[in-house]
Amino acid sequence: MSELLGDDHWQRLDPRMLLVHPIRELFRFLPVLVGVFVAGTASGGQWHLIGVAIPVGLGVLRYLTTSFRITAGRIELRRGLLNRHVLSTPVDRVRTVDLTASPIHRLVGLTTVRVGTGTASTDDDDRLDLDGLPVDRARRLREALLHATPEAREQASSAGNARVVLRFDPAWIRFAPLTSSGLVIAAAVVGGLSQVLNSLGWFEHHDVRDLADPVTGTSPWLAVPLGLVALVAVVTALSIGGYLVTNWGFTVTHTRADGSWHLRRGLFTTRETSLDDERVSGVSITEPLGLRLAGGGRLSAIVTGLDRKQQGSSVLVPPAPRAVVLRTARAVLGVSGPVDAALTGHGPRARTRRFTRALVPACALGLAALMAYVFWDYPAWLANIPLLALAGGLALATDRTAALGHTLVEGYVVAGSGSLVRRREVLAVDDVIGWNFRSSWFQRRAGLTSLVATTAGGRQSVTVIDVPEDAAVVLAGDAVPHLVGQFTA
Amino acid sequence: MAGPGLREPSQRVSPRARLLWLLSATVQSLLVLGVLVLVGPVLDWVHLRWWEQAIAVVVLAAYVAVVPQWRYLVHRWEVTETAVYTQTGWWVRERRLAPMSRIQTVDYAEGAVARLFGLASVTVTTASAAGALEIAGLEQARARQLVDELTVKADTDPGDAT
Repeated sequence: MSELLGDDHWQRLDPRMLLVHPIRELFRFLPVLVGVFVAGTASGGQWHLIGVAIPVGLGVLRYLTTSFRITAGRIELRRGLLNRHVLSTPVDRVRTVDLTASPIHRLVGLTTVRVGTGTASTDDDDRLDLDGLPVDRARRLREALLHATPEAREQASSAGNARVVLRFDPAWIRFAPLTSSGLVIAAAVVGGLSQVLNSLGWFEHHDVRDLADPVTGTSPWLAVPLGLVALVAVVTALSIGGYLVTNWGFTVTHTRADGSWHLRRGLFTTRETSLDDERVSGVSITEPLGLRLAGGGRLSAIVTGLDRKQQGSSVLVPPAPRAVVLRTARAVLGVSGPVDAALTGHGPRARTRRFTRALVPACALGLAALMAYVFWDYPAWLANIPLLALAGGLALATDRTAALGHTLVEGYVVAGSGSLVRRREVLAVDDVIGWNFRSSWFQRRAGLTSLVATTAGGRQSVTVIDVPEDAAVVLAGDAVPHLVGQFTA
Repeated sequence: MAGPGLREPSQRVSPRARLLWLLSATVQSLLVLGVLVLVGPVLDWVHLRWWEQAIAVVVLAAYVAVVPQWRYLVHRWEVTETAVYTQTGWWVRERRLAPMSRIQTVDYAEGAVARLFGLASVTVTTASAAGALEIAGLEQARARQLVDELTVKADTDPGDAT
């Protein structure tokens, strides 16, 4: 607690930042530096020294002009040489404290402390980042900031052990290729690679058709499957790599004494997030189709007071076996009802609507393909499309109907929906701010409505899709008494 | 499951709001029409047959004729001692409820066009980005009075509104 007391004077960050800043600036200025070096060597002068001196100078300047202090219940950060910038926030407004350590930071034993106050500002200048404190000092500071109130301090001092709720298991990487993020990484890398190859003129020298050249002896029947296998292998490798880099060492612990969750992850850049119990207003269990078929899922927390950019730090379980996800969800909520309870279905009208919405586009697509085949002599395989579309639409509608449901159990609103991405969202009733009843003309005709519980955390709302109107009013009324009741007729 | 349903909020917005919505619908339709004329006859990118043109004109005219009135029928609001309740939209109807204790800010805004008709809008925000309640098309005096009323009521309610 000494971190918060007797610190009236301005203090600098750790002097080891003098090493980190120049290296980082060097990386940032790398393209410019290369240019300066080439020009410098060519002209035979001392230009390249200036190229090194400027980034190093900037780093030193940043170190000398940045200081912070914690005084009279406020944390203040002062920086800038020409534009003096002082950020100040009351300590009891601090909601989250993130410790992030890049590989350079880790080499010299430092970490960045990001103090989150739940501000809506997205300006980087408005962030309270203490970039560069020794790891143990950063941890002490985090303790002090999160338990600034006297009661919390008292609780924290009555020793309590951290309970490990989740520990990373390398076997989970089997789920990595099944998420869309793996595909995104792969697409980005393949796209970037083809750009590079293109700019090097690779495609001009190597015609893709060469692969099928009878002279070299490869046929398209061999080349295409080989290419596909190679693509799948590359995508798999990249997504596994991405998964490991982000999630290696993923640990979730709960400290009873101070009542907060600690998340830690990362292979190269390690990241530690602390969430106050009170800030965790619910969880969201997500199962994209690929993960669901393989028996996996992932879990994130609905946290109030996280900035939009920090949403990534609310991941509680990366893609992992379903049993692990459910176990962690129960542990985080402290009750098992919201995770396990059967959901109340939304009845025949909601089911009809699911089928209409899936089958109308499918039929339109099928009809178009059929017409193309009949009237314009398109190839015969087009005639299969109506069947495929119909089958796909039916499967989708059935699956979506099965997922649809809601319940109110043990003080939590639970909403289930989705097929391609199945979700079960759990939100504490105390964190429901208000209700939106949204219904299109079609929904009104069917007597259905989409009930939206608004909240300050996560995606800002939890939606119960296509619930019968009277059931929506009952659910909203039971969850938040005295609000809906006065407007019922 | 047959319980009591949600009733409409009690207050209508100003009848002059129809003029406001009529004006904006007209402008929107003219813009769409302008784009159609530009890509069709002028630049000759798309060939629209006469009946396609006719359909476009009829749809836009129907939009101008029907939607402002429809909006006016839907838009309603109500403020009680403990809650704010609004209903907006036309094709998609949205009813929003927020307890007085969760209100964070009350905004009063006069758009440039709304001012022409002596109208203003009042927006009530909560800590959720998904939960702002807007009452558009109020007479200015009524809107100011509503802002005062809401500010007092939200202030007397204890709690930190998160």
